[in-house]
Amino acid sequence: MREKLLIGRLIDTGSPVHALDPRAKLTAMLLYAAMVVGARSWPALVVLTAFSFIVMASTRIPLRTYLKAAKPLRVLMLFILIVQCLAVKGGRVLVAAGSWHVDSAGLEAGAYAVARMVLLVSFTALLTFTTSPGQLNQGVEGMLRPFTRIGISPERLALMTGIALRFIPAILDEAQTIMKAQASRGADLKELPWKEKARMLTALLVPVTVGAFRRAEDLTASMESRGYRLGAPRTQYRPLIWSYRDTGFVAVFVLICLIVVWIGWI
Amino acid sequence: MKARKAGRQQERAAPEDQGAAPVPAEKETWAQHAEEAADMVAWDNVSFAYDGQHADIDGVSLTIRKGEWVTLAGANGCGKSTLSRLMNGLLRASSGCISIGGIRLEAGTLGAIRQKIGMVFQNPDNQFIGATVEEDMAFGLEGLCLDTEEIRERITRYAGRLGIGQLLRRHPQELSGGQKQRAALAAILAMEPELIILDEASSMLDEKARSEMLELLREMHGETRYTLLSITHDAEEIFASQRVLVMDRGRVVADVAPDMLFRNGELLRLCRMEPPFRLQLARELEQRGVMTADGVTGAMLNPVVEEMRKWAFGSSM
Repeated sequence: MREKLLIGRLIDTGSPVHALDPRAKLTAMLLYAAMVVGARSWPALVVLTAFSFIVMASTRIPLRTYLKAAKPLRVLMLFILIVQCLAVKGGRVLVAAGSWHVDSAGLEAGAYAVARMVLLVSFTALLTFTTSPGQLNQGVEGMLRPFTRIGISPERLALMTGIALRFIPAILDEAQTIMKAQASRGADLKELPWKEKARMLTALLVPVTVGAFRRAEDLTASMESRGYRLGAPRTQYRPLIWSYRDTGFVAVFVLICLIVVWIGWI
Repeated sequence: MKARKAGRQQERAAPEDQGAAPVPAEKETWAQHAEEAADMVAWDNVSFAYDGQHADIDGVSLTIRKGEWVTLAGANGCGKSTLSRLMNGLLRASSGCISIGGIRLEAGTLGAIRQKIGMVFQNPDNQFIGATVEEDMAFGLEGLCLDTEEIRERITRYAGRLGIGQLLRRHPQELSGGQKQRAALAAILAMEPELIILDEASSMLDEKARSEMLELLREMHGETRYTLLSITHDAEEIFASQRVLVMDRGRVVADVAPDMLFRNGELLRLCRMEPPFRLQLARELEQRGVMTADGVTGAMLNPVVEEMRKWAFGSSM
């Protein structure tokens, strides 16, 4: 299961994007996400897709790896497609069954939503593919530093993100072990009908949740025994240094954003 | 009950046996005493209860001298891990005094105490904070406010020492059990603590990894800069240590040398342990009169071999 999950995994190819400051990558990703979410037409998506491919290619990571990152969300995408098809009316009637009918406008809206989602998930995977979780933590902390004034603790949020990224593989491994244990007792989740699968999921979630709490407790003890205190002064092993390349990277994204807005596609 | 009473008698007798001075009753004097007597750990009548009522640690007094290797043994649930967590303030004692390296454990001294103690836990998977071995080792060092160069130097030094230099960029999940525990120990050693607590650190390891870990502990003990407190059920690890504190229902009921533990049936029952094979063999041979504690003479060699053959295969052969 863990092998299939690509989000949160660093793929070190030593590309120039890997060497960028995580704050630059985070800023660029936020801009990109805003562009994708705000895109209201197919031409806008085409421009963004072309731009994405160029940036993805510069990381020296195969394109299919990015597409695989969106694969775990295929059920959600299918669900969105179905909902859009059934909810949005207009244009030609493509399929009709009694009072239910799928129109061309519904299909277009569904396909558009799915395309945006694929683009968003695939491209934002670039962040974790090219940044180690530790650097990502530092980046999040650095980005949130100005929000300290309104009571947000950047250190706390960065720590939460880091621990989540660190423990996702471990918790997935545990879930897989429990699933295997259940399968060995005759309850193979893969072979069960959907209704039974849903019921069995509860039997899976309880031990996984309990295990996660146990891990959290052990981790807290480990952190505290190594002298960790929230808010206590710390140095950084690899302090972040912003360079002209980082400014250039963000500037390219800002430029694309301005072009898209100027043309009126958002 | 009888075992407990016998154990308590041994506990009382132990300080003199081990050469440790008795603990004075008055607390201030006691803290000074702990410092002067070169005690790494000094507990004076410490109690703790998870629910605030039923004591899980019941009036424990103990001392561990600097450079000593002490094992904490006892059945599951007797309070060993609780005792180790009280040591560095992960749990707060409800009464009594704890002193580590001459510093009395209080809210204000918690940071200083934790710098002196390194803890290695049972499950290595749950103690990694960093996403790579290198980041995990750096975590504790960043808390010590060391600069980048010093952190890098310590990581290289201790990773090299524990043979995990080539694993620094790896995710902890990609390591074997033995490698994980080495990485966890390296992260602790890099912080250069004086007291290292190993809470069943070898219990989830295979035989090979366990003996490698034991070898490491022997090396560390040989350096004399570390005081080791290991919580274990492993007979070889117990044998390698200098003293064994046996716990039962929240109390230290015996303070004995390792070989004494394995010769004492009552204590072994209390710890739910079996003596190691070599001791069982020695005992059988001793009972058959073919071997004494002084050794085996040349004249006795043939009967020894014959007795061992009989013992191993039965008398029918």
